[in-house]
Amino acid sequence: MKDYRKQFWLGVRDLLPLMSGVLPFGLITGATGVSLGMDPAMVVGMTALFFAGSAQLAAYSLIQDNAPFIIIVATTMVINLRFAIYSASFAPILGPLPKRYRFSLAYILSDQVYGLCSMPMEMAKNRSERIWYLAGVALALYVTWMISVILGIVLGAGIPAHWSLEFTIPLAFLAMLVTTITSRLLFMVAMISGCCAIAFQLLPFNSGFIVAVVAGVSGGLLLPSWLKMKGRSHE
Amino acid sequence: MSDNLQLWLLFIVVGLGTFFIRLSFIQFHGSAEALIARSKHILMLLPPAILAALCIPAIVFTRPLTAYQPDYFQWIAALIAILIARFSRSVFWPVTGGMICLWLLRYMSS
Repeated sequence: MKDYRKQFWLGVRDLLPLMSGVLPFGLITGATGVSLGMDPAMVVGMTALFFAGSAQLAAYSLIQDNAPFIIIVATTMVINLRFAIYSASFAPILGPLPKRYRFSLAYILSDQVYGLCSMPMEMAKNRSERIWYLAGVALALYVTWMISVILGIVLGAGIPAHWSLEFTIPLAFLAMLVTTITSRLLFMVAMISGCCAIAFQLLPFNSGFIVAVVAGVSGGLLLPSWLKMKGRSHE
Repeated sequence: MSDNLQLWLLFIVVGLGTFFIRLSFIQFHGSAEALIARSKHILMLLPPAILAALCIPAIVFTRPLTAYQPDYFQWIAALIAILIARFSRSVFWPVTGGMICLWLLRYMSS
């Protein structure tokens, strides 16, 4: 038992350096919410229900544009599809747990949890050690996120509009984009998707986003085989 | 239906949907290995596609109420943010650098 507690606190400790990235993102999320005229309780409720910053920021801009209900749901679901990767990676250790632990740990899965808990050093530990470590990281991140959004709500009301703070949202997505591009194929996917997003931004009901993502992913699936075929014809 | 009620409904639907995505493979552990293997490739391509579609139009154009117009200051701020993001893996410094650049450009041109 003592050993497991050690793993939990190890997880909390490993998350600390990542807080420098989570805190400002939470501040932006909270501040933007109130700047759109939503009341603070609503922003907190939204944050707790979503527990997904990127989806929340995307939802803000769609709400602002008066996009239809179903488009907002579809867009946020596509953004959150990445959680399926995390769910798949942790299924072997979390799947056999009793329901209440399985559900609560699934609810607090996040990008940072995936990043820390899928490192080679973690994979070498035994199953219960990994669960306790994951719980430490996930819980620490959850608390950090909620506190930083609430701080953002408190501070956000005082920020003047001409600072164009809403531009921090695309900048934050751009910074994340740069770190996710790790190969030439992923760069092509981003280019296709970005160009389509511009080309289709006037499509009705803000559906351009979904069209662009589908185009980018299809490009990523088809390009390698096309390029291979081209290579063969040169032989 | 009041506007607030509709928003709450939206948040609850999205919240539940997000929760079920997170739970998906954990819940069906043992019976979904083949599906995981097949969808992993598509799921890997999603993040760059999503992030690019989210940020690129908002950077290229400003969003006034009437028409979409290109904003060159935002382009330069975004370039600075890309440069910083290549060196720091956090989101904080690229955003800060980009915003400072945008404020400076606007201040100098006004």
